Amino acid sequence: MTPAIELRTLTKLYGPLRALDRVSLAVPSGSVFGFLGPNGAGKTTTLRILTGLARPTSGSASVLGHDVATATNDVRAAVGYLPDVPGFYPWMTGRELLRFAGRLFGLSGSTLSSRVDALLDLAGLAGVTTRVGGYSRGMKQRLGVAQALINAPSVLLLDEPTSALDPIGRKSVLDMIASLAGRTTVFFSTHILSDVERVCDTVAILHRGVVVAQAPIGELKARYAMQKIAVEVTAGADELAQDLADAPWVASVERPSDQRLVVAVTDPSAAQRAIPAAVANRGVGLRRLETVEVSLEDVFVDLVR
Amino acid sequence: MTGFRAFLGKEVQEIVRTWRIWVLPGIVLFFAVTGPVLARFTPQLLQAVAPETGLVVQIPDPTFRDAYLQWTKNLEQVVMFAVIIIGAGAVSAERRSGTAVLVLTKPLTRTAFIVAKCLSQGVLLAGTVAVGAAITWALTYAVFGEAPLVPLAQATGVWLVGALMILGIMVFLSSSVSSQAGAAGLGLGAFVLLSIATIWPPAGRYSPAGLLGAASGVVSGRAVPLWPVITGLALAGIAVAASLWTFSRKEL
Repeated sequence: MTPAIELRTLTKLYGPLRALDRVSLAVPSGSVFGFLGPNGAGKTTTLRILTGLARPTSGSASVLGHDVATATNDVRAAVGYLPDVPGFYPWMTGRELLRFAGRLFGLSGSTLSSRVDALLDLAGLAGVTTRVGGYSRGMKQRLGVAQALINAPSVLLLDEPTSALDPIGRKSVLDMIASLAGRTTVFFSTHILSDVERVCDTVAILHRGVVVAQAPIGELKARYAMQKIAVEVTAGADELAQDLADAPWVASVERPSDQRLVVAVTDPSAAQRAIPAAVANRGVGLRRLETVEVSLEDVFVDLVR
Repeated sequence: MTGFRAFLGKEVQEIVRTWRIWVLPGIVLFFAVTGPVLARFTPQLLQAVAPETGLVVQIPDPTFRDAYLQWTKNLEQVVMFAVIIIGAGAVSAERRSGTAVLVLTKPLTRTAFIVAKCLSQGVLLAGTVAVGAAITWALTYAVFGEAPLVPLAQATGVWLVGALMILGIMVFLSSSVSSQAGAAGLGLGAFVLLSIATIWPPAGRYSPAGLLGAASGVVSGRAVPLWPVITGLALAGIAVAASLWTFSRKEL
């Protein structure tokens, strides 16, 4: 099956700066794909190339099997795009803007009217009659998501869609993205890891223009994250930390609270045997010994550090 | 040209619903209304000032030609500068505000984007000047009792060709330079260079530079400068083609 989005050794140079360095990835059809990376990693550059706003220095990008460099309006008609900072005509109302966006896609009549009504409702802007120039940043972001959906796209490209939203706005946008899974391919760039964990099934992590990992979230955690074991003792946590720090299967020891240790381990089975023994040798009580659930943040930090 | 009609409709609405409706039409109509009246009463105004300065002013009685000259002088100076400033933002303002990204990631080609810009601005300019000329003619007739149509129509037409040429150049600069102020500065520079070029007689006779100041010449009785009109229209076409070429290669 042809991926909905495919990048092949995509490279983009801005003078001496290598914004993208031989980036290759494939986004399966119908997936909600998180494109993660710290600020300046090259996420927006990738989206600008995918939308035809910028050209790659080398390599290629395709959407729905068509090279974006030669993509026709037929391809654009199947794509929705929300830029990181969406720009609008301040003299239009939200309804007028959505109607205008719909007409650019050739929509008219009752189809256009019903989509505009539904999307204004989805964006929480149904009763708003003020011009877009008077909107808050969050309202503009929600309007941006709505205009990206006006053509019922097969591929939805979202650049930091939740960055300007309050918790309620963020929840509604994430719920909306989650509801599209299976029907629309969503390519979603962000640096907010909790958003990705909540709605994405697959992620790619971009760091300094290079894809350092790409996999389904569960697989990524299993593959890259170091196992962590939390230990809570009745006393002597500092001495225990010193004892464990020298063990060959210990990568690091953190001290998050008074009698608690979090031990990053390279050999979990060795750790499960040795930690209770070390506690017993110190002659202190063991309150808790548990495996810490690995978060995407742990993976992300490990990979981009 | 998918999306062209929708975008052209947006351009027209934008003119009607924003400051744009007041600037160019406002300036042109103001001059159209005041020109004939000022021409009629200029001698009286000067004579009213003269006793205080001790000067003896002898001015012939004004005619319809003075009213027409007021109109063309204003077009050649103030209105042309307005065309330069407004044209400077035609493309660059949409790029800076992010609205170019909004529309050009939809089924609207960059060619349709530029053509719609040129068409809407050109029609606004032509329509406004046509209305202004009609008002000038009517008021000149009312004030002087005489207002031949042909010299006014020819002079306004010659000016319009020059203004469309400048508009084409401004759309090109606006497509090439990201800042409206930068495009306006370059446009003013181009205007000054064209004005200086007319010092060399062949440039005034054959090149588009001959259009600058030609409208007042026509009112004064000179023939319509055919070669500058032809080369001016050609330059306008070349400028629009250059805009399309530049903008289609521009990263947004």
